[in-house]
Amino acid sequence: MKSTLLYLGKAVLFGLVMAAVFLLAQQYLVKDHDNLYRSHGEGTVELSFAKAVRKAAPAVANIYNISIDQRQPLASGALQGLGSGVIMSKEGYILTNYHVIKKADEIVIALQDGRRFSAEVVGSDPETDLSVLKIDGDKLPVVPLNLNSLPQVGDVVLAIGNPYNLGQTITQGIISATGRNGLSSGYQDFLQTDAAINAGNSGGALIDTSGDLIGINTAAFQIGGGGGSNGISFAIPIRLAYSIMGKLIENGRVIRGALGISGEAVTAYMAQVLKLPEVQGVLITGVDRSGPAAAANLLPRDVIIEYAAETVTSSEMLMDRIAETKPGTEVIMTVIRQGQPYKVPVIVGEKVAEYN
Amino acid sequence: MKTKLSLISAAILGASLTLGTLPAHASLPVAVDGQQLPSLAPMLEQTTPAVVSVAVSGTQVSKQRVPDVFRYFFGPNAPQEQVRERPFRGLGSGVIIDADKGYIVTNNHVIDGADTIQIGLLDGREFEAKLIGTDSESDIALLQIKADKLTAIKSADSDAIHVGDFAVAIGNPFGLGQTVTSGIVSALGRSGLGIEMLENFIQTDAAINSGNSGGALVNLRGELIGINTAIVAPGGGNVGIGFAIPANMMHSLVDQIIEHGEVRRGVLGISGRELDSKLAEGFGLDSQHGAFVNEVMPGSAAEKAGIKAGDIIVSINGRKIKSFQELRAKVGTQGAGSEVELGLIRDGKDKAVKVTLGEASEQTAAADELHPQLAGAKLESGSNGIEITDVQEGSPAALSGLRKGDIIVGVNRTPVKDLKALKEQLKEQDGAAALKILRDKSLRYLVLR
Repeated sequence: MKSTLLYLGKAVLFGLVMAAVFLLAQQYLVKDHDNLYRSHGEGTVELSFAKAVRKAAPAVANIYNISIDQRQPLASGALQGLGSGVIMSKEGYILTNYHVIKKADEIVIALQDGRRFSAEVVGSDPETDLSVLKIDGDKLPVVPLNLNSLPQVGDVVLAIGNPYNLGQTITQGIISATGRNGLSSGYQDFLQTDAAINAGNSGGALIDTSGDLIGINTAAFQIGGGGGSNGISFAIPIRLAYSIMGKLIENGRVIRGALGISGEAVTAYMAQVLKLPEVQGVLITGVDRSGPAAAANLLPRDVIIEYAAETVTSSEMLMDRIAETKPGTEVIMTVIRQGQPYKVPVIVGEKVAEYN
Repeated sequence: MKTKLSLISAAILGASLTLGTLPAHASLPVAVDGQQLPSLAPMLEQTTPAVVSVAVSGTQVSKQRVPDVFRYFFGPNAPQEQVRERPFRGLGSGVIIDADKGYIVTNNHVIDGADTIQIGLLDGREFEAKLIGTDSESDIALLQIKADKLTAIKSADSDAIHVGDFAVAIGNPFGLGQTVTSGIVSALGRSGLGIEMLENFIQTDAAINSGNSGGALVNLRGELIGINTAIVAPGGGNVGIGFAIPANMMHSLVDQIIEHGEVRRGVLGISGRELDSKLAEGFGLDSQHGAFVNEVMPGSAAEKAGIKAGDIIVSINGRKIKSFQELRAKVGTQGAGSEVELGLIRDGKDKAVKVTLGEASEQTAAADELHPQLAGAKLESGSNGIEITDVQEGSPAALSGLRKGDIIVGVNRTPVKDLKALKEQLKEQDGAAALKILRDKSLRYLVLR
């Protein structure tokens, strides 16, 4: 009798647990579907991104340049389509690509509701190809964003922009890769997508299926020439773009530390030649004569293995740490020279931005 | 013991009930571990037999005229007009819209100038098609084949789709054989592209290439939402920007072709412009979607219906319109004589009027059909005569001396008031004609050879 009771009790418990699990799972699934499916009046359900589009698309603006015609300098200029931008806040801050606005005479922002504003440039960071613009307007549509979302390979994404100045266009694809860097500078950490991104999409939004902003599209890095999108496009992740935006609003520029060195990651072969204890660190290949590293007597062939008491694991990591250090700070590095480790104090300088 | 049994059954019932609601979602195409992966295959199985390949062959006739400058130079010994014939072949796609009658829709540009049109079905059968009618301004053509066991496509209401909806293109790119590509609806009501005279495209990022023209754009239920027609292709191939003629617009055109053998374009008889932010502000409107009426032509359908200059047209047959171009495309694809209901805003108040559309041929005309030397000019009947609304640079019309803004008021010594009269007069003259033109408030003659 006791064993049957136990047996039955287990069955009941199992049943309840399963029921609870399915209820929870269903809730989760239904919540997820809300973003993907639009319910029709008849009760049928259809797959669509219309809801996500409605959330984000109004906040993606078209950017125009009023070009001053050299032949008719007094005539009112024609609007020339430059690219796209994303309205980030009610105050009217707009994120876009630096290359979109760098040659503009006078920037005009056109919202999807037909309103037009002239914009001022708050600041630009050529290093990450980002610029922040500002417009003054009431009831501006603001893009929803989730700074904690980490896009993963295979996630479905939508690109919103104004390709070839056709008018607002939504294209769909997936995240093809994350952490793509080395495309223009070490600071970018691109998302790669197969959503069609063409000239004019630059500065526009890459959103997830909930409508949250996850990146700023950058059409400037096309692989295979100027023939337009071929399934390989790039976007600047929102976390990076958002932090750059904060710095541009605060200082009008992004202040980065610099040592005035060039270097490369230590390979197994280098480690052997340089008699290093481990295959680790960054080999200095060049020293700027007037830079902070030269002032600290660092030489080519020195190997940096520690920066501010942190082990150097890769050249990207070292570049990031140097860039993040406030100029003027003294940092202790551990360097191996001729097989001998020793500590060097360096006063970090400021990296000079090149507005090319 | 009994209570325990009922408890178990309750638990099992509860579990199975929650389970029971799950498959409705599980059958939806979402990739979840252990659940069915998404696939369009079941839908496509029903849909793809309705999409056919269209192979055309014909002879392209190109006339080479010696330019007038050289004609003058050569004098009476000028070489004769050279006519060259070049055989051509072309490939495209088509969509079966009526299985019993064998009606197939394709693009006009797929079959333009063809002597023979060969249809290839998915099951391998081939048929020679008859051209029922075609409309170059909207780029729609209707073909017919005599065959049984055809599969027709179902049509969706293309006015009810949204940006972000999934879209699937079916066609015959590069003559490879039937190809299915997927994407979403990227934009709606796209116009002003200069691809066709009447534009109201659905834009999609589904891959569309050469040979896809005339093929189907369907929704996830396999219902036709558009006829794939054009792409933006800076490098020649697909970059994720394709355009399709909405299914509703196509059906309205096809109905006219079936009835009359041609499209009898309806006209309102207004000139207008897009409603922009300044106009909307000036008229105290919240929305900037609509068409602003600048002028109502005397005696036109719009005047008869009581439409006035300053009205803002915001809907047609209960469907909101976004732009003047969209209104133009929708009116232009309705047949002449058909009745449409227009939603207006006048003095800040909503108003609805019923309009019986007039015949289009009286308002605008293809200039090169009137006279070869007029090719490249856009003509429109105005209140004083026939206005030249545009002249293409370097075109025969421009070389003849025509300018934008000119108003044709007569041919030789006969005054002409509208395009119909101009057409008749030019036909009568057969060759050399002197156009009496009003330019900058002065009259002058231009000679067409």
